[in-house]
Amino acid sequence: MARSVIDPVTRIEGHLRVECEVENGVITDAWVSGGLFRGMEAVMQGRQPSDAFYIAQRICGVCPISHGHASTMAAEDALGITIPNGARIVRNIIEAAQFLHSHILWFYTLAALDYVNPAKALEANIADTYALAEAAGTSTANFAVVQNKVKTLVEGGDLSIFTGAWLDHPGFAADMPAELHLIAVAHYLEALEIQAEASRVIAIMGGKFPHFMTSIPGGTSWMPTEEKLDDVLFRLMRVRDWVMNTMIPDTLAIAPFYSDALSYGGGTGNFLAWGVFNRESLEMKDRYLPNGAVFVPTSGLTVQDADPGKIAEYVEHSWLSEGESGLNPADGVTVPPKEFPGYDTGDKYSWAKAPRYDGKSTEVGPLARMIVAYLRGVEPVKALIDSTLEKLGAAGKPEVLVSLLGRVAARNLETAVVADWSLEWANELIAAVKGGGVEFFKPLENDNGKGRGMWEAPRGALGHWMNVQGGLIANYQVVTPSTWDISPRDKDGVRGPMEEALVGAPVLDPERPIEAGRIARSFDP
Amino acid sequence: MAYEDRAFAEQLAARGVTRRDFVKFCGSVAAMLGLSESMVPTIASAVESAAGSKLYPAVWVNGGACTGCTESMAQATYPDVATVVLDILSMNYMETVMMAMGADAEKALYDTVNNNEGKAIMIYEGSVMKGWDGNALRVAGEPSLKILDDLAPKVAAIIAVGSCAVDGGWVKAGPNTADATGVSMYLAEKGIKTPVINLPTCPVNPEWIVAMVVDVLLLGELESGAILGKLDAQGRPKLIFGQTIHDNCPRRGHFENGEFVYQFGSPEEAKGYCLYAMGCKGPQTQTNCPIVRWNNQTSWCVESGSPCIGCGNFNWVDNGAPFLGRMRKVAIGSGSHNGGFAPGVAGAAVGGVVAAALGVHAIGMAATGRLGNMPDTEDVKEHDRKKGGDK
Repeated sequence: MARSVIDPVTRIEGHLRVECEVENGVITDAWVSGGLFRGMEAVMQGRQPSDAFYIAQRICGVCPISHGHASTMAAEDALGITIPNGARIVRNIIEAAQFLHSHILWFYTLAALDYVNPAKALEANIADTYALAEAAGTSTANFAVVQNKVKTLVEGGDLSIFTGAWLDHPGFAADMPAELHLIAVAHYLEALEIQAEASRVIAIMGGKFPHFMTSIPGGTSWMPTEEKLDDVLFRLMRVRDWVMNTMIPDTLAIAPFYSDALSYGGGTGNFLAWGVFNRESLEMKDRYLPNGAVFVPTSGLTVQDADPGKIAEYVEHSWLSEGESGLNPADGVTVPPKEFPGYDTGDKYSWAKAPRYDGKSTEVGPLARMIVAYLRGVEPVKALIDSTLEKLGAAGKPEVLVSLLGRVAARNLETAVVADWSLEWANELIAAVKGGGVEFFKPLENDNGKGRGMWEAPRGALGHWMNVQGGLIANYQVVTPSTWDISPRDKDGVRGPMEEALVGAPVLDPERPIEAGRIARSFDP
Repeated sequence: MAYEDRAFAEQLAARGVTRRDFVKFCGSVAAMLGLSESMVPTIASAVESAAGSKLYPAVWVNGGACTGCTESMAQATYPDVATVVLDILSMNYMETVMMAMGADAEKALYDTVNNNEGKAIMIYEGSVMKGWDGNALRVAGEPSLKILDDLAPKVAAIIAVGSCAVDGGWVKAGPNTADATGVSMYLAEKGIKTPVINLPTCPVNPEWIVAMVVDVLLLGELESGAILGKLDAQGRPKLIFGQTIHDNCPRRGHFENGEFVYQFGSPEEAKGYCLYAMGCKGPQTQTNCPIVRWNNQTSWCVESGSPCIGCGNFNWVDNGAPFLGRMRKVAIGSGSHNGGFAPGVAGAAVGGVVAAALGVHAIGMAATGRLGNMPDTEDVKEHDRKKGGDK
């Protein structure tokens, strides 16, 4: 028996430690520790609701749009504002652009290096690489130049971002051809430009990315012009084409070499989504990706409406343990310790609280959203998942998605769905502007109220709660997606979703647990 | 000459960057550094020769960060982030993108600095987290302060990117539960003399990082010490942070004409009028955002219809909030770096037309008499009242 540790877990947003007990090559127990406490909720106290929009998005530099939107929705809920239709469409497009940006960045920049080995790309035959790209239906690149670049890095000894990497790790699929490694490395570089292109859509409508300016409580301060609408549409089309012609075929080409990842890494099997991308009704259940809760172990593949009233946050194993445990965030508290309690996997070991839904350790993220949408019969999600299951040799068995590979696939399929919808929304906005009379902002009138903004970041279900008294924020609480997924144990000692997903996973080399890295990153924490 | 380096051109082309794009980038770097156009070939060949020789050792350390500055760096276009980290720098430690993980990642950090003592560059993102003896941020099983304690004295310079690294950023805003601060303040407390170049705003604009990398490393200004003469009292490059947003704002003409936006979504907003009455902090904020813009010059805050929130100012949240609709008396006319703007920029410019426009719309704005006909400010901000302050 040995403790296998990854600290820091790199290629994620934030600071994370993963500690596993490994017995006979299998993880038997796991502890996930969130390493950073900044105190955002306290910063909000006493400020104006509109200030919260600007400040709260700075919780996360990868998903600021979602935090901004959740904060603004909480203010609007508290102060009784219904945003005009123009603002709804603008927000959908900005949010979609961030989803595209984030998912592309996640797959290529963050996750790919767990499956793709640049050192193997050196062995690729260039002519064969073009042939393979054509056979896989993925785009080509100047493969010779890319290979030469990798060669220069390796031979020059300046490994840069590959310094210290496990390039000889036996965990890379032995039968994955060198040519496929080279294709993926080429697209790794190309992805940098495409994720930046998606960000430019946010820049047009929100001023800049990361951190944007326009989705203030009441609507949006951005007002479209013909020229800017064209620019938005053109850029979204470019991103969408790349997703369909490069990212999706790449995913389908690499996945079969890691099909063993369909058999582990599933986690608790409990899933939660608040839903994202509003329709005109602004109802959570009516969203393009709707809300829902699914408990596979107890209720099988059935979906129920998700209720924010069923959240409770526990702090027994958190360093924030001096506040009352088991509170709903609407009345929640965040009480930092007087003395640092120390890192102890048997007691307190994380800055994260442990949120539970209806008492259950519950996963959030694209997998949760895709399962909820699938079970609610949302198209094109259902058709896309069915066809992908067929390609993975699991036709008619959506339950295999509850796995490491399923979590990866769900995120990439969602990218395709959102890419298509983003064009739909851009055209919807163009039509609305052409039609005339479209409005973008409604001023705030009230000074008091309690509200919540339930939304989705690319990495999962997100909630902001705001209590406004006399025009100022009296209490503010946030439950981020990562808090759900990286949560430590709760009062009953039940593991968080990532901890549970690690248990049962194989580890070839406890000194270099690449498999644990894959599972941690599959949540995009 | 290296300027025509074919292999380098092919590498750029593989990433979709044309020769023309590259020269354009070198031109924008030159402009940002206040260099004449005749320096463009020098910059271009410095970048190219860096790509062909031993790369400059660098580490990118994340403190109490949201990773937004890394994200921002990933939005750099000419050159893109791959060029910066593969062709110019050997970025041997950068948590968010590096392939290695765990102890091997930490080893890369320590080896890079220790094996290149006095030569490596450290880029620091996020606040320095002092709370609970540094346990507010734990990395590799230790308080992350250990990284600065161990390595800051051994690097050639630290580039503090983003407002969090510069002064603690929003994390330091009241009540600053986790005792956050900026890199240069922390080094001063510890008596560490390593030079710090401060690049504020939230997040940092990647163009500024690129400009500093070229200036400091490729043109040798760190070795010669010339860079220090180019920094202001806050350690910021004067050429980037020497003028206010108001100085260069494309909406300045509307300000002069007294044409203001008083409500979002209004006809005035649609016309792109001045956002001063909505609380724009442009007159107090010293950055070149209107010129460099964001996301490959696609847009910037004011262009999107939003007032500037002053994210590049010292303690920008406490000094700038409430962000909409009000100006703070403390900031007006202080003329210092602490969130103030130079009198004479906006003050002298507020003429009769402006005053009339602001006065006609009775939204609580009256002349204060402090600076011509500036709109009124709150005497005591609610947030400060709560804390017992009198600002």
